[in-house]
Amino acid sequence: MNKHTITHRQLFFLILQTQIGVGILSLPYSLFQKAKIDGWISLFIAGVIIQFSLLAIWKLCDRFPQKTLFDFQPKILGKNLGFIFNVIYTLHFLFISVLILILYNSIVSKWILFETPSWVIILIMASTGAYFITSSPREMARFYTIVTPLLLILLGFILYAYTGVHPLYILPIGEMGMRTILKSSQDAVVALLGFDVALVFLAYTEGERSKKIKVISYASLCVTILYGFVVLTTFIYFNPEEIKIVPEPVLYMLKAFSFSIIERTDLIFLSIWMISVATSFICYFFLAAKGVQKLFGLKNNKKSAPYLAIICTLIAVIPNDKLEVAAWNKYISFTSLLFSALFPILLLIIAVLRKKEDKGAASS
Amino acid sequence: MTFFKKPKKLTQVLQENQEIKEQNAQNNTNQSSSQITAQNHIQNEEDEIVVEEQMTIEELIAEVKKPFSNTQDMVTHWINLPSDDSKIVFLFLDSIIDKSILKLHILNPFFELKKDIDLLSFEQIAGLELKKQTDFTLVPQLLLQSNALVFTQDTSCYYSILAPLNTQRDIKEPDNEAIIRGSHEGFIESMTMNLALIRKQLKTPKLTIKYFKLGSETHTNVALVYVENIANPDLVREVERRITSIDAEAVYTLGNVEESIEDKPFSFFPQMLSTERPDRVAANMMEGRVALVYDTSPTAHVLPVNFFTFYQSVDDYNKRWHIGSFFRAIRLFSFFIAIGLPAVYIATVSFHFEIIPFNLILLVKGSLEDIPYPPLFEAMLMELTIELIREASIRLPTRIGTTIAIVGGLVIGDAVVKAGLVSNLMIIVVAITAIAAYIVPSNEMSAAVRILRFPFMLAAATLGFLGIVFGFIVLLFHLCKLYTFGSPYFAPLAPFKIDDMKDAIIRLPFWKQNKRPNDASPLKRDQANRTRKWDRN
Repeated sequence: MNKHTITHRQLFFLILQTQIGVGILSLPYSLFQKAKIDGWISLFIAGVIIQFSLLAIWKLCDRFPQKTLFDFQPKILGKNLGFIFNVIYTLHFLFISVLILILYNSIVSKWILFETPSWVIILIMASTGAYFITSSPREMARFYTIVTPLLLILLGFILYAYTGVHPLYILPIGEMGMRTILKSSQDAVVALLGFDVALVFLAYTEGERSKKIKVISYASLCVTILYGFVVLTTFIYFNPEEIKIVPEPVLYMLKAFSFSIIERTDLIFLSIWMISVATSFICYFFLAAKGVQKLFGLKNNKKSAPYLAIICTLIAVIPNDKLEVAAWNKYISFTSLLFSALFPILLLIIAVLRKKEDKGAASS
Repeated sequence: MTFFKKPKKLTQVLQENQEIKEQNAQNNTNQSSSQITAQNHIQNEEDEIVVEEQMTIEELIAEVKKPFSNTQDMVTHWINLPSDDSKIVFLFLDSIIDKSILKLHILNPFFELKKDIDLLSFEQIAGLELKKQTDFTLVPQLLLQSNALVFTQDTSCYYSILAPLNTQRDIKEPDNEAIIRGSHEGFIESMTMNLALIRKQLKTPKLTIKYFKLGSETHTNVALVYVENIANPDLVREVERRITSIDAEAVYTLGNVEESIEDKPFSFFPQMLSTERPDRVAANMMEGRVALVYDTSPTAHVLPVNFFTFYQSVDDYNKRWHIGSFFRAIRLFSFFIAIGLPAVYIATVSFHFEIIPFNLILLVKGSLEDIPYPPLFEAMLMELTIELIREASIRLPTRIGTTIAIVGGLVIGDAVVKAGLVSNLMIIVVAITAIAAYIVPSNEMSAAVRILRFPFMLAAATLGFLGIVFGFIVLLFHLCKLYTFGSPYFAPLAPFKIDDMKDAIIRLPFWKQNKRPNDASPLKRDQANRTRKWDRN
């Protein structure tokens, strides 16, 4: 099965690129809604929480070397329950892909293409995904590696904001109290989702086991720091009254900058951001396809890819106004919190209790 | 055998058959001392009579000539040995034989010996110059490979001598790969000469050459060349496997071979490097790649290649390294300009005019205002015009070609703006794009880039920046996914190898290039470059 293994470095970029996605634009706004200007603390707390989930995921995959989530679930939970949970996880990954499509569509139709029908915008992303998942994780990881330097450009744009910041805006720190801060870190976890793809990609990674956990936790750490930087920057760029009315603070911030060679910086930012969204989408889409492959006993993704792309597109065009998008966002975020962050821990506990382990492979 | 001794009649026959001068000269010089005669195949009637009357050698000749019974350049040349009256026969295809070689090696020794020659002494001479053959099924093949055959009365065997007609042109600098400094040698249409040029560059006993014959009718010669202790044996085996699996009646051009053995025939990107430069081939072979040299073509193939091989030029290594690096980077940048610039322009003026800076907006608006057509149409019109001019000027002699370029470029460009069909800015964009597309040192890559620009323009016209971004995503992923003979095409960028960047995007100095690039998986990675030893301490 693992003819197309990936290296540690490639795993790092896979996780990094999957975690950075749609969330980066609206995260400051959603954090501010609950925790006000202490939102950035929630984010860093979420970053710590994620490390625990990652540890569980790593431990879990470590017990079953070279086995993906879909392979070891039936072993831990028994054949029937395992099958049911494989179906659930396949749907879960599919719906995260759909959610990414929905949010991407809402941003694109709001900021770039106002009159293009949404199915066109969604279909172009879905068909790109279908092209990607016909290949192995190795080629995907190579692609993710070469597009990562583009993030530096995004970072450069955001750094430009420091020409007009007011650091005093984030004071007083801890105004909202610990409880609110903790509560809103739930939103932050949702924005940081993407580390759960390690459940499958760890199986493709070769090399030392102790290095794998380092790699995935560094990847999450990098993303947490990057997000923290973005959130902090927007919090000190806009005053607290302004953030209330800007749902995509990063873009509004960039829109204000104009250089002598480029007027609307946000359009350039969005173009590069689209690549990050595509990488997140493709990863989850790949996972969903892997699930389908396991469930139907297919040889590879080539045949299922176009059908999955069409299904994703059909579901993603359903919500057509802001409120529906928000509702979908809420429900799918909740389930993903459950299945991506919490369930792996539960699964690990069950595996430990039932002493399920892939011993033959572990010794090698 | 009466007519063999009538040279006058013979001369007439020869004139009729248009193989006049050399034969005549030969006859004239040799007539006094001998009685050589030539007979052309055309005189079949006489032949048949002879066969009926005479011995087995005539039967044999008739039999051997059967596959060539209709071709008129088949020459049968009978000689009566004076001493024992035995006959020997020369058989060759006149069009591909250099008769002076035959004269030098066979006929001259014959007649310089004053004493009479019998069959025995002929065979003694023959032993020196000729190869003895016994397999009669090889006859057509030997004839087609510029061999002259000699039959004697001993019909159990025959002799062959290789006497190819020299059809080579001079070694010149290839027109499409000219460089400023360095060797100006280029391949020609002869495989032996091409191999000699490669050997001239790599004087190592490890240089290995394997010959293949392609096409059951054409017998095109192909040589697989590699350096034994560097090229990966798996790679060599894979290339051999693919070449030997070619099963066709005719393999004319290297394009046929290329299409038969490349990995992804539907990709726009060239998967082998075509070059006419022996130094480029040699340098690539020292990196562990293998080369295919063809007998009928001055172009050799290098494989496996990566994307950046196409952007390397021999000139880079003869410049100061900073300057070489700068031009290498410019070339790679031109890839994105050639593909993306018209698309970005279309997307900007038709979707995202907000990103045009304030000072420029009036200028752009002024230029575009009176143009009746959408930007996509403008761009297509001009790009296609450029392609037309290019295609027209390739086939024309240089002098007329320049005229076409001036008429096409200047006159059409100026007139089309004045007529109000295309905007000024579009002309600038198209001109820059056209220049950028020709910066690539490889013609195939340049063609790929020129084709790719059209889908990008369409994507930009339908979806703006979104279309361009997804275009580039798919393009880059295609490059990541592409393998040539098992090695990744987009190496060293994907998979990322910082070591191999030294000769990909930039060119570091020679003394820094200690390791061979990894993508062709060479047997030895160390290049043993220790060139600045004197500089220690």
